[in-house]
Amino acid sequence: MKQKVLKTTLFIVLCLAGVVTVLPFVWMVLSSFKTNGEIESLEQSLIPLAPTLDNYLNLQSNFDFLRYFANSILIAVLVTVIVVYTSCICGYVLGKYQFKGKNLIFGIVMMTMMVPWSVTIIPRYTMFVKAGLLDSYLSLILPVMFSGFGIFMMKQNMEGIPDELIEAARLDGANEFQIFHQLVFPLCKNGISAIAIFQFLWVWEDYLWPYLMMDSENKQLLAVGLTLFNGRYSTDYGGLFAATAISILPVIIVYVIFQKRFIAGVAAGAVKG
Amino acid sequence: MRNREEKGMFKRRPLQSKSEVWMRNIVMGILVVYMAVFLIIPVIMVIAGSFHQWNPLNETYNWIGIENYVRMFSYPTFWQSMLNTVIFCVFVVFFRVTIGLAVAYALNSKMTRFKTFFRTVFYMPTVTPLVAVAYVWKIMYNPQFGLIDKIFGLDINWLFDSKFALPALMLMTVWKDFGYAVILFLSGLLSLPADCYESASLDGADAWQTFRYITLPLLKPTMLFVVVTSIISYLQAYVPVLVMTKGGPGTSTYLSSYLVYDQAFKQYNFGYASAISLFILVLTAAFTVISFKVTGNKDE
Repeated sequence: MKQKVLKTTLFIVLCLAGVVTVLPFVWMVLSSFKTNGEIESLEQSLIPLAPTLDNYLNLQSNFDFLRYFANSILIAVLVTVIVVYTSCICGYVLGKYQFKGKNLIFGIVMMTMMVPWSVTIIPRYTMFVKAGLLDSYLSLILPVMFSGFGIFMMKQNMEGIPDELIEAARLDGANEFQIFHQLVFPLCKNGISAIAIFQFLWVWEDYLWPYLMMDSENKQLLAVGLTLFNGRYSTDYGGLFAATAISILPVIIVYVIFQKRFIAGVAAGAVKG
Repeated sequence: MRNREEKGMFKRRPLQSKSEVWMRNIVMGILVVYMAVFLIIPVIMVIAGSFHQWNPLNETYNWIGIENYVRMFSYPTFWQSMLNTVIFCVFVVFFRVTIGLAVAYALNSKMTRFKTFFRTVFYMPTVTPLVAVAYVWKIMYNPQFGLIDKIFGLDINWLFDSKFALPALMLMTVWKDFGYAVILFLSGLLSLPADCYESASLDGADAWQTFRYITLPLLKPTMLFVVVTSIISYLQAYVPVLVMTKGGPGTSTYLSSYLVYDQAFKQYNFGYASAISLFILVLTAAFTVISFKVTGNKDE
């Protein structure tokens, strides 16, 4: 009896916490189908009374939002692929090889995670302006090709792969490049999905760097696009809801699809760390 | 740790084949060059820059000694931003850890159903883009039609009242970040040894005693990891401020990293901003060292 009461209370508490967690998202999505009049009216209902797609349609005609969306996807996918690859290969060398200076290099890699963005952004800005990389997508890709977090995660992952497996491949005459690409790389799926989602999200939500680097508005990324939109149409709440929904939902969908692997990857990296 | 490395040394001989040496040289070579260009040189530039009057717009770069530091320590907004950052860290970390631990404990219980579902839901805010989320919360705090005032029947102009603006940012941050603590505590709880609990229940310990005297001490490393990584990331927080309050009303929501953004890319005082950012770096380093010290002692 007591068990049952406890079980139900626990369930109710978790449900309440769950509702609080998703309510802002639900509110955002539902409000994006409301007219501005309805959003700003005193009498509020969660469900739109007169659902309309106008917010999305106007958003596109007044403000080329899909353009920002496409730019962000392009850059985020490119950077994510690069970072996954560099993290894995550096993680492999640092996790499986013994050589002089290894700990020093790994120490510096760990330091990159500790240095705040505010320290590196000023000299980086100066360097990129001097190099004439303003307004070029290279400036968004170059500074994030290696990730301290990614290398750290993959080193942990690589150490979990048995040496015997790699040794056997070596005896079969495979060279290191083949071993890495054909044997080791596919074995790190959990770690890769954790890094991939995080890295994608970091590029997706990065605001200051693209804001500083990109001059042409049509090359801009989504997060900056949102602030441009808000600056120009600050009272168009319906449009802002639609814009935020477009920038949040794709990430949530990707996350829900990969969440199992992803959470396993995050947890594994942290426990050993 | 040392044990594992020694074992590895014996099992794996130093690099032998040519392809291993090539692999190491290429990969580490690129990595080292990359880190020199994007980490070491920038840090040197910032240190040098903090002793200069440095404005990229009119290309001034004049040696002024420690004047930037003197100005920093005598600037009220700097101290205000530090105070705000401390308040922000203390409250957000406290609630993030408490809520994260409570939810993880509930999820870990044998009685809970739909674990995977709940875990997915609680982690959701963490994987959403902060800029967009901050805009949603900005509308949620709207005094006329915002969700928060409507639900609780309040009449507070959250973001324009100097008493409530910082708490409003903290509330949003707790909501966004507690899921990460849930995942970490959950994996910490799963890795705890089962025999401790068996002997505790044989000794007749009740649920609270078990939690207080067994679970909590065993979770200390996870707890410390969450606390330190939280503090480090909140020392760098600027997006919520930028989107929701721009530091106002007055200076009531200036956080230290927002001050760097403001000084560097609004006022273009690069030298002065460099000095502040180095101060943040020192704080970050101090927290990291403390955390390593504390966890190090625990292992012995």
